[in-house]
Amino acid sequence: MSAARRIARRELRAGFRNGLRGFRVFLACLALGIAAIAAVGSVREAITAGLQREGATLLGGDASVEFTYRFAGAAERAALRDLGTVSEIVEFRSMATVPQDEGGADRALTEVKGIDDAYPLYGDLVLAPPAGAGAALAGDPPGAAMDPVLADRLGLSPGDTFRLGQKTFRLAARIAREPDDAGGGFDLGPRTLVRTADLEGTGLLEPGTIFETEYRLRLPPGADLDAARDRLAAALPEGGYRWRDAREGAPGIQRFVDRLSAFLVLVGLAGLAVGGVGVASAVRAHMVEKTATIAILKTLGAEGRTILAVFALQIGAVTALALGLGLTLGAGLPLAFAPLLADRLPVPAAIGVYPRALLEAALYGTLAAALFTLWPLAKSQDIRAAALFRDGGSLPGGLPRPAFLAATGALLAALVGSAALLSGIPFLALYTAFGLLAAFGALLATAWGVRRLARRIARLPALRGRTAIRSAFGSVGGPGGEAASVVLSLGLGLTVLAAVGQIDANLRSAIERDLPEVAPSYFMVDIQPDQIDAIRALAEDPAVAEVQAAPMLRGIVTRINGADAIETAGDHWVLRGDRGVTYAASPPPDTTITAGEWWPEDYQGPARISFAAEEAAELGLALGDRLTVNVLGRDIEAEITSFREVDFSTAGIGFVLVMNPAALQGAPHTWIATVYADPGAEARILRDVADRFPNVTAISVRDAIDRVSQILSGVAAAVTYGASATLVTGAVVLIGAAAAGTRGRSYEAAILKTVGAARAGILASFALRWAILGLASGLVAALAGTASAWGVTRFIMETGYVFAPGSAAVVILGGVVLTLLAGLAFAWGPLAARPAGILRARD
Amino acid sequence: MSDTILDLHEARLTLDGNAGPVEILKGVTLAVDRGETVGLVGPSGSGKSSLLMVMGGLERATGGRVAALGHDLTAMGEDALARFRRTHMGVVFQSFHLIPTMTALENVATPLELAGRGDAFDRAEAELRAMGLGHRLDHYPSELSGGEQQRVALARAAAPRPDILLADEPTGNLDGPTGAEIMDLLFALNARHGATLVLVTHAPDLAARCSRTIRLEDGRLARHRQAAE
Repeated sequence: MSAARRIARRELRAGFRNGLRGFRVFLACLALGIAAIAAVGSVREAITAGLQREGATLLGGDASVEFTYRFAGAAERAALRDLGTVSEIVEFRSMATVPQDEGGADRALTEVKGIDDAYPLYGDLVLAPPAGAGAALAGDPPGAAMDPVLADRLGLSPGDTFRLGQKTFRLAARIAREPDDAGGGFDLGPRTLVRTADLEGTGLLEPGTIFETEYRLRLPPGADLDAARDRLAAALPEGGYRWRDAREGAPGIQRFVDRLSAFLVLVGLAGLAVGGVGVASAVRAHMVEKTATIAILKTLGAEGRTILAVFALQIGAVTALALGLGLTLGAGLPLAFAPLLADRLPVPAAIGVYPRALLEAALYGTLAAALFTLWPLAKSQDIRAAALFRDGGSLPGGLPRPAFLAATGALLAALVGSAALLSGIPFLALYTAFGLLAAFGALLATAWGVRRLARRIARLPALRGRTAIRSAFGSVGGPGGEAASVVLSLGLGLTVLAAVGQIDANLRSAIERDLPEVAPSYFMVDIQPDQIDAIRALAEDPAVAEVQAAPMLRGIVTRINGADAIETAGDHWVLRGDRGVTYAASPPPDTTITAGEWWPEDYQGPARISFAAEEAAELGLALGDRLTVNVLGRDIEAEITSFREVDFSTAGIGFVLVMNPAALQGAPHTWIATVYADPGAEARILRDVADRFPNVTAISVRDAIDRVSQILSGVAAAVTYGASATLVTGAVVLIGAAAAGTRGRSYEAAILKTVGAARAGILASFALRWAILGLASGLVAALAGTASAWGVTRFIMETGYVFAPGSAAVVILGGVVLTLLAGLAFAWGPLAARPAGILRARD
Repeated sequence: MSDTILDLHEARLTLDGNAGPVEILKGVTLAVDRGETVGLVGPSGSGKSSLLMVMGGLERATGGRVAALGHDLTAMGEDALARFRRTHMGVVFQSFHLIPTMTALENVATPLELAGRGDAFDRAEAELRAMGLGHRLDHYPSELSGGEQQRVALARAAAPRPDILLADEPTGNLDGPTGAEIMDLLFALNARHGATLVLVTHAPDLAARCSRTIRLEDGRLARHRQAAE
């Protein structure tokens, strides 16, 4: 082994003296892949650390206790005060209205937040012009602070007045920063901040109105959060509230960041796979170049395993260098762009060096390097001493020995396993791995097919006399061509981009495509029982196609068959927080009961529930199960007597939980209605309803969709950046392949010149062959990307799939342009060189 | 009136090496007549191959004048030289230099195609058959033996019926009998088509078959021998 190490060191020394010429693509590919993964991981860790550090500020306190559409009772307030300083916050949606001189009014949906004097317990509320909340919001009419977006939309300047419900407020300031607005950008309406006390007289907090109250707690320094939670639970055994604490200040954001970064790491792994093609090509070329050295070493008595050790050590050293480069780059990029990131990210991030992120990237990088270098390395053992006396130029053919095949399988399993384990989304990780392997297979088959086809085309009698075209096809199809490496490297990068492009286009179009025909114009909420008949009467308007209405309560499923619900059925969205609950005497129109029976219309017995079938299956619920639903602080235990199909994709009214009327009718509640109207009449209907019922909040479905589309665009942009990194790696591999082919092309150009070819003809032939390979790569990438996107939209997103031709065309065109650019960048050398020099060097 | 086909006057060639400029040809003056067979001999490094390359326009002389068929090669651009070779010159190398991605037939047809010959492939096939390679038309160079590759190279050089055939040690990489076969073919081409042949060789017996032998030493002409001498 020591002999191997010494020889390896000598070989490596020669390589370094040469500027690691043969390993530059190797280094670039591996380092880029590792850097991308390390950077994504570092940003993820930075956000996690930022969310933890700012947990109390984001939550608004060390802990927060949330009630749904009620304020805490006296006993609850007392129990909360026992724990520490309390700040009461109330939040709900409403319409901000600005009356116009000509009699009409401007309206916009807003998320109203009522605060008290203790707000904020942590962090600072920054207003513009600068003022303290107390001073700014005091006065008559009472003051309000608004999100600048909302103020601009309504054309309000400080001092102007507007209405919330039935009461007039004065815009005191714009909100420059709201400390506890973690990812507030996900809300449907921009913020309006007022004092809770000033909400009296608005008519917006009537019984049954949908609002949430939060009691933020500042605990004594060093207080144990678990102990505080337990004390509250002991003091309020009835429950009916939701506890959150600063350890998880923004769980939704954390989940979103974790998911997005996991997805980006998967995209990064695809990049590493693309880079792997470059790594494998580089090692293969290196081994070919070293054939004579290996043959000499064998002649001198070196065994196969010594040879393997020599080159494995060498490749190992270069891999270590690539790891160092990649990790430095991956850790350094977020640091270098820290101010920009802090500015652009909607969440706090503690940018720094995070070993966990770097270790994860190093693990992927090492496994990928081992996987892609193993085969060409294994071939070194099979080079015979006799190779010295023959013309080199290729490694021995066939598969490597069984031990290497087994090692390849093990490395692949380790890489996919690590991705599945570390990403936290094993299904998607496995799907990605399968997709990449399939794409690899498809691209290899394509390369083979393109070569066969090109060879046939080159021999077509029609091409005789067209030397440039014939020699281009001949070169693609002939021995020693670049087809495989170009199609693989570019094709894989483009496949990832094509898949992302198709998914992105489908995401956007799914919303536009699936909704307009069935979606209502408005959701109207907070309709008081005495107003619902008037809202229903809207259906008589010729411009209104339909009005659907249902009573609306909110409740939390706390127990299943007497046991804690989340412990029994897992952390399902239905159990997370409060859900809408309604009651109905008979099944709503078009309801399909999948199991059990609906209660009789005049049923007065113990409470019963009809549950959404799909969600029930996910929760493992069966007919006869008993659910405890906390509504307005009161526990209602009910038996599941039927399951129903609920289609949430129609944006109509859909409730997971429907109870029999007698169970809920007595509870104070409001109604929810959906109004289906001609788009042209929407503004008029909104104006009429808002004028008659200022307490009713109308949510424009179109606005909500726009908001969702905006968020999706952001996600799509992040993923596209990730995919672009993959393409950059692909481009590096491509450039490597183009550079590696320079020698061959110089030789070909020299011979062609010798037999009389002019440079323009030679260049045309070169350009044509690159265009052929680029076109083939682009076509297969568009196909493979489309197939992947179809799988993702069909099985993961569970929406329909529609082919997006624009995105596919960009990918195909991109393939041609990229190969042409890479090829042309290396064309001048072969064209300019004098034939004699090139030919002499080959003698 | 003399029928000079190649005319070199004080031709010089200096190339940039790692250790500075290297003077390879130090003023060669030489005239070759149409139909002549000229053997270029001399020790290794004397500049034989370089002189051949300069004659073929594959290397540009850095001094003096090199003319072929009355055209000054030193004044022609890269593409003009290529077009000139297309119709007037055929070159055969020691290492064959076939395009690896083209079959034997395609290799031979290429200069004919470049010259715009409509019957390029028919003519290439006839040439290869004449060389005894009718069964190897669709083979790639890597699938041919050294002797076969050189016969393809010979067919490629001869197919356009060039005025001048330049051959740089065409038997250097071949065994004795195969080499002899190639030389027979080369001289037969000269005899049959009247092409002027300039042959670089180390073999005295091959040089002796030429109508004239020119010896090069250290980049200069050492002496001439006429066949009749």
